[in-house]
Formats: sequence, structure tokens, C-alpha cells
Amino acid sequence: MTAAQPLTFHARVGEKVRDRRLQQALQKARPLFVGKRARAVAALAEDQLDFEGLRDAGEEIRNRVLADLDVWLDIFEERARATGAEVLWARDGREICEQVIDVARRHGVAKATKSKSMLSEEADLNAALAAAGIRPVETDLGEYIVQLAGEAPSHIIAPAVHKSIDQVEALFAREHGRPEQPRSSADIPAMTAEARAVLREHFLSAEMGITGANFLIAESGSAALVTNEGNGRMVTTLPKVHVVITGIEKIVPTLEDFATLMRLLPRSATGQTISNYVSLLTGTRREGDGEGPTKTVFILVDNGRAALLGSPWQDMLRCIRCGACMNHCPVYFSLGGHAYGWVYPGPMGSVLTPLLTGLENALELPRASTGCNQCGSVCPVRIPLPKLMHRLREEQVKRGLRPRRERLMIGAWAWLAGRPKLYRWLAARAARYLRWLAGDHATIRVFGLAPAWTEGRDLPVGPGRTFHELYAARKRA
Amino acid sequence: MSSRDEILQRVRAGVGRGDAAGRRAAAEAWIAGRARGPQPTLGADLAGRFMAKAESLASSVERIAGRGELPAAVARFLAAGELGTAAVITPELTDLAWAASGLAVAARSAVDQDTVGITGCFCAIAETGTLLLLSGAQTPATVSLLPETHIALVDERRIVGTMEEAFSLLRIEHGSLPRALNFISGPSRTGDIEQTIVLGAHGPRRVHLLIAGS
Repeated sequence: MTAAQPLTFHARVGEKVRDRRLQQALQKARPLFVGKRARAVAALAEDQLDFEGLRDAGEEIRNRVLADLDVWLDIFEERARATGAEVLWARDGREICEQVIDVARRHGVAKATKSKSMLSEEADLNAALAAAGIRPVETDLGEYIVQLAGEAPSHIIAPAVHKSIDQVEALFAREHGRPEQPRSSADIPAMTAEARAVLREHFLSAEMGITGANFLIAESGSAALVTNEGNGRMVTTLPKVHVVITGIEKIVPTLEDFATLMRLLPRSATGQTISNYVSLLTGTRREGDGEGPTKTVFILVDNGRAALLGSPWQDMLRCIRCGACMNHCPVYFSLGGHAYGWVYPGPMGSVLTPLLTGLENALELPRASTGCNQCGSVCPVRIPLPKLMHRLREEQVKRGLRPRRERLMIGAWAWLAGRPKLYRWLAARAARYLRWLAGDHATIRVFGLAPAWTEGRDLPVGPGRTFHELYAARKRA
Repeated sequence: MSSRDEILQRVRAGVGRGDAAGRRAAAEAWIAGRARGPQPTLGADLAGRFMAKAESLASSVERIAGRGELPAAVARFLAAGELGTAAVITPELTDLAWAASGLAVAARSAVDQDTVGITGCFCAIAETGTLLLLSGAQTPATVSLLPETHIALVDERRIVGTMEEAFSLLRIEHGSLPRALNFISGPSRTGDIEQTIVLGAHGPRRVHLLIAGS
């Protein structure tokens, strides 16, 4: 398992806030993400559908699976095998890499085209493939851009949301062996066409296609892939081998359940009523077919998921990876996805990263929240994200993971708060001190104990008396 | 212990419920029940709805009187767009009089050089303006994927309301699933460079639908 880089969140915050290009990219994307989803949800009324009712149904489907996940995994495995697919299991990222490389070697694979797979990010699969002499090529345009930049995705559905057109142009010029040109948004179709031509060659020549799965259908042993670009179809149609890497929690029972979730996923993710391509892939090429993979392999991955079943964090396993939580998060849009340090950004990342990589490796993430619950209110499967973040903070305290200084300060405060007389006496002194500090102004510009806090805002100051004092005086009057 | 057994053991410990046989039977019963979630109210004019939705997703739509008119309609569309006269078609369409309309068609899987792909569809879905194509020897999936222009024949009688109804039709007519079920809703698109939507990401840049009446 690739661990999150410990304690990098705070260190990165300043850097991300000052990155002007990142801030511009984020401010441009935010109203688009929010507006498109809001319009798509409102449009459901035309068909007399109610988004809240769909959310209830989505939550119920995901809960049904999680309550009997062992049974659903058995059914999926049996039915997928019956269609001719091979089903492998991976405990962690290392096993994912070993298994993919083994399949690649068995089939003489030199190049693998990839459609989006977050599990392959968890496993750092591209590095492992490259080290084994197999070239991985990301084919989702956003993933391709971040692969060229040597970066990780900064958003689970818009991986290159942090990149400006100039940065993309520089990457394309370098990779495609041509001089860099000045670019404006009018050139975006031409740049997309350029990537299309380059990636088309890769689609046609790769021996293996690697994808994730938006869902696994237990009823039919199928993988469901949802894309707009068509790259998911390419990598599952043209290469002779198709490997699906996905988490064990991604199962849905029936095609009908899948249809319900498809009314939630595109609306929540991109504000579309449906994504351009939705594919259900079942087994290998059939007798008489002139195309399609002759070998299909499912890799079902745990990587920390099974341990969440039956725990206070089981709700997180309902996640369908739509990205709505990050699209509505003030913290995400202040910092971008890279600040979060691992594969999953935004509120769902703030919950999932500590759970999958270890609480001690991501101490700051559950605190990267304003508690506004915008994420919880848009989540299509009703994951109570702020509550889970809060629980993670409590767990940090229980396990003694908070920094020593913080524990000492809170211990001191608790000691003081348990002594009301002393507390009141000190509070009265502090109120007078602040009043004195403010002088003739009603605010304090620079406050000695917390200069950073008052650097960007003034601290309003009270009347120099505590609430208790004022209350007592009023009662006497 | 194998990875499989260890993972399943962890899952069972987390699920924490006994009576494996009873739970298995309940799961099978859920599958057999095929319960549907909240369904849209779509009105009676499914063809009108389908066409309006397809157009809103950047497909162009045209009505023709019947299946036999497909070659002539395709020839007109290609001429208007200066898209040539050559096309790859799915073998299900070989019986039509393509040469009589001045078109040179090849019935096979598509290759990179093909610029126009012509297919039928298993059915179409009014709710979202979506085509459902099945892979198969008579209906290779590459024809709707590799060429820049995808033209599809939609039989008006096979426009159903929802994805659930499409699945229902599939179970009745085919029993099991083909290798690939492809739900297609307009030309391929991306918004990955500065959130600007561009048509023709990896698949077709344009999709033209010909709705054949009965």
C-alpha cells in the first residue's frame, strides 16, 4: 500500500493557496461543477422523479450489498467465472501489481492502455509496470495530461482540473515532439484532436487494456464502465487482454439496481443525465466474434476495505466515486486535490485516506473541513461525511495520536475549566487585557499570542467585562 | 492462506452474520425479483422524447419512412456533410441496397482508416436519448467506435422508456448478456482541458440517427 505522505497537508496548504494558476483553475471550475449538477437534479422534476427518493434508493442498494458482501462476492465470482473470465483477489497494492505483471507476462504484453482506475493509483501500478518493462499509457485525456506531467490526478473525475491550457500545451509539445505555441481556449479542440491521434495509435497497438469498474454486477458477472470520451470502450475492445481492477465493495446486485445508480452517478458527477458511453462487459469474445478480448481478468481488491465492514466507518463503503463531495467543498476549492497527499481528495478522501492508509498517516485530513455539510447534503448515497470526519478526530484522540503540544494545551484547559472560580477570575483579567489592548478601537489588529490569526482580519473586542460579570450587574440593577 | 480466502474471511468477520445458506437464498431471491427503483413518468410519445433528448446530447436526428430507405438517407447525409461515399457497416445491414444509393460499404469490424460507421441498434431509450448496441458477429462494436461519423438506424417500434425496459427486452430476446452492452448517448466528448467541452474525444465526433417508422 502506498502510504499517504504523513503530515504534509499543513505543509502544502500555504503553497497551494499562493499558487495563482491553481487558484484560477479552481475558481473557473467550481461554478461549472456546482451549476451543472444543480440543473441536472432540478430537471428530474420534468419526469416526476425526486432526487431525494433516488438517493434513498441508492443508499438502500449499497447497504444491501454491504450487509451481505461475502454472499454477493461469492455470487459475482461464480457468475463471472461462468462467462469465461478469470477472477483474482488482491490483499493490497503490491498484490495488484504482481498480478497485473504476471498476466501481462503470460500474454506477452509490452504496452497496456489504461482507462481510469483509482485502484491502480492506490497501487502505484504505473511505476510497477514501467519497472517490469511494460509501458502503461493513460488514455482518459485528463489522466494522460497528469501522466505526462509525472503527477497524480487532483480530482477523481476531472484529473487535470488543476492544469491550465499553457501547462497542457507545454506537456503536449514535449511529448509529441513539436515546438510550443501560444494557446487560447479556441485551440482546445485542436489540442484534443492532437491527443486523440496520438492515443489512437496506442489503442491500436496495446496488447492489454486496464480499467477500473464503476460497478460490478453480481447477477451477470459483468463490469460496468462509465466514460464520456470512449476510451473505456477502446481499451476493452481492441487489446487481446482486459484486466479489471476494482474494490470488493463495488458490487451491485442486479441490472435494475445498476439502472437506479445510473440515474444518480452522472448527475452527481458531471451534471449529465447520462454519460456518453455506459458499457457492461461480460466475459470474453464469443464464438463468431471478430473482435474483443480473448482473456478477461478481474482483480478484486481489499486494500483496507474489508476492515471497515461492521466498523463505525462502514457507511464510507457506499461511495460510488462521483466526486460531488469535492465539487461542493470549500476546502477542496481552496487547495485543489494534491494538497490531500494521496489518491482521494476532498471530503471522501479526508475520510478514506486515513481509513485505508492508517489514521496516523493522515492526521490533518479529518480536520480539513469547515463542518458545513455541503458534501453530506449532495452525496448521492447519503454518506454522512462530516460525521465520519468527526468520528475520525475522536478516534485520533482516543488512540493518543494528537501532537503532544495540543494534548498538553487541551489538558491544561480541561484542568482550568474544572475550576470555575479560577476560570472566572482569569477570564475577567483576559477581558480587561483585551479591552486595554484595543485602546480606542473596537478591534485588535495584531494580537500578540496569535499574530497569524489576526494578520488577515481584525479581532473584535468586547466591553472589557465577562458575560458573568455583565449578567450579575444586570440582575443587581 | 490464499488472498481470496483471507479477504473473504475478513469480509465475513466484518459482516458478522451467520446463516450463510439463508443469506445466500435471500440474495438469489433479490436477483430473481428484479425490483425496480423510482421510475420516470415519460408520457406516451416515446419517439418524440427520444429524439428531443438525443438532439440535446448533440446527435442529429432524422425520420425516415422505413428500414429500406436507410441507404438513400445515409447517402444524402454524407453528401451534405462532404463525408465521402465509403462506409463500414455492421453485417446485420448487408441486405440493404447500398450500391444503388452510390455507397461503397464493407460489412465487417471497423479499422482505423474507416471514416463512417453505420449500425442498427438493439433498442433505444427515450428517457435519456440513448442507443443500446450489443456486440456480436452480426454487430461488431468497433463500427460505432472507431470511425469519426457514426450513423445509426433506430426502429421506432424499438424505442423503450427506460434502461430497465431495455434490460427486460434483452432478457426476453437473448437470455444472457453478450460480451459488451454499449449504451451510447451522442458523440464522444471530453472536458478535461479547462472544463471546455469538445466533441470527438476518442470515439465519433458526430452521431446521426435515422428513426425508421413502421
